[in-house]
Order: sequence, then C-alpha cells, then structure tokens
Amino acid sequence: MKKSRIALAAAAAVFVLSAAICIYMLFFKPKPQYVRITSGGKTLYTLDLTKEKDRLITVEYDGRKNVIEIKDGRIHMLEADCPDHVCIDTGWLDNGLPIVCMPNRLVIEAVGKGSDAAVG
Amino acid sequence: MLRWGDKFLDIRKISRLGLLTALALIIFIVELRLPDIAPIAGMKLGLANIITVYAVYTYGGAEAALILYARILLGTLMTGNFSALIFSLSGGTLCLIGMILLKKAIDIKHMWLCSVFGAILHNIGQTAAAVAVMRTLAVISYLPFLMISGCIAGAFTGIAAQLIVSRINKYGKK
Repeated sequence: MKKSRIALAAAAAVFVLSAAICIYMLFFKPKPQYVRITSGGKTLYTLDLTKEKDRLITVEYDGRKNVIEIKDGRIHMLEADCPDHVCIDTGWLDNGLPIVCMPNRLVIEAVGKGSDAAVG
Repeated sequence: MLRWGDKFLDIRKISRLGLLTALALIIFIVELRLPDIAPIAGMKLGLANIITVYAVYTYGGAEAALILYARILLGTLMTGNFSALIFSLSGGTLCLIGMILLKKAIDIKHMWLCSVFGAILHNIGQTAAAVAVMRTLAVISYLPFLMISGCIAGAFTGIAAQLIVSRINKYGKK
C-alpha cells in the first residue's frame, strides 16, 4: 500500500511537471528571432527572421522534398512529401516547439541569440 | 510439452499467449485507423498496452516480452510502416522493463499506476530513439506533451487491463 502511494505521488509529480513545461513552452516562450534548419543533424541554415525577406526554401533529403516558407518574419513548413504531414500540421514556428519532419529528418528550431553563425 | 529454459510450456499456455498476441495485434491495427489527436509524432493511445500490462501481471515478464515483440514485429509487417519500428522497439522495451520491475512494488489492485509508468517510460524511449534518428536534441521539446498524453492514456489502458482481470476472476478461470 505504501509503495503504491509513493508511486502515485511520483506519477502525479511527473504529470504536473510536464504540464507546467508544456504551458511554459506554448504560452510563455517569446516569438523566435533566430531559427536553425537542420537536415539529418547537419545545419543547413541559421536565419534571423526579422531580417529575412519572404521566400521559399526547398530542402531535399534522400530524394524527398520539403518546402519551407518564410513570410512576414514567421516560418513554417509549406509542403512535404512525407506520408504523415505532421510537420505541416504543426503550423508556424511561433513558440518553443520545433517543427519536425521525422521521415525526411528535417528540423526547424528556434535558437538563442549569439548561437553559431550561418553555415548555409 | 516444450522446454523453455528450465521451465516447461504447456499447450494451454502457448495457445493463450498466442490468443493474447492476436488480440494485441487487432487492437494495434484498429487503433491506427483512429485520427491523430494532435500534430505530434508518436502521440497515441497505445491501446495494445492493455495486453502487455495484463500479461506482465498475470503471466510474467518473459511471457509479456514474447507477446510484445511478436506484436511489434508482426504489426510492422502488416502495416508496412518500418520507419516506426525503431520507436516501437525502444519505447516498448523500456516500458516493458519498467513495468516488470514496478510489478514488485505495485500490487495488482494498482495496476493502472504501473501502466502510467510504462507509458512514461515508453515516451522516454521513443524520444531517445528520435534524438538518435534525427541527430538533434530539439525533439526533446515534445517529451512533456507526450508525457501528458502518456499519463492519461496509460491510466486508461491500465484501468482497462484491471477490468479484464476482475471480469476473468469473476466469470472464468484464469
């Protein structure tokens, strides 16, 4: 009985902590200024969204294609030829959640200021 | 009787384990037809875990492992979704090991709690696999979201498994 109480408390703690982190990431993270686009672990672009003009970036991986759109200082996945389209459904990168395309190994994430310089 | 380690498997047990594997597979395939809850890869109910928790508590770790890996491999063959295999395997293995260890601390009346930890460990396992596959730590951002859904889904599957245990005790022989 006592052991399962401890287990219950531990599970509740994990739940509350995760909920707190989720709320923080969804609502309290500032809008990203610098973003990094990586493919298969390699950095392709590091962009400053405030200075970027509206444009489309096409990234190919293993014969498959993703189209990233930058518009009005925001970034999102416009097209992807992966089967699930999770990355497109994620929408704009406006909070702490990175845009991930698992099948094509593509990640768009917010990075802090002063992070490594542009490679692409 | 078949020898398996220093234990003997009787036909009755083999057929029961086969039946449970078939049930787990059906649940697994039917669940794929359900629409996604959120645009987060890997977020799902994990209903097939009902069978895994049930097997851990009523048969034991080795039997549950047989059912789990048979279900994952056959399920992958049936759906053809080989890219999901590594996430199922890493998550499933961590979940199974955790539940086998926790079984000693959590009695059968609190099975749902064991299932919750199983789900949390599954999320950690699949996220670790995602970090390895994508070669970026960015995917960890999704772990808290997976954990919230995992806690809820794990409690749900655990309660379902508990119901099965109590019904079987009431209406049929184990």
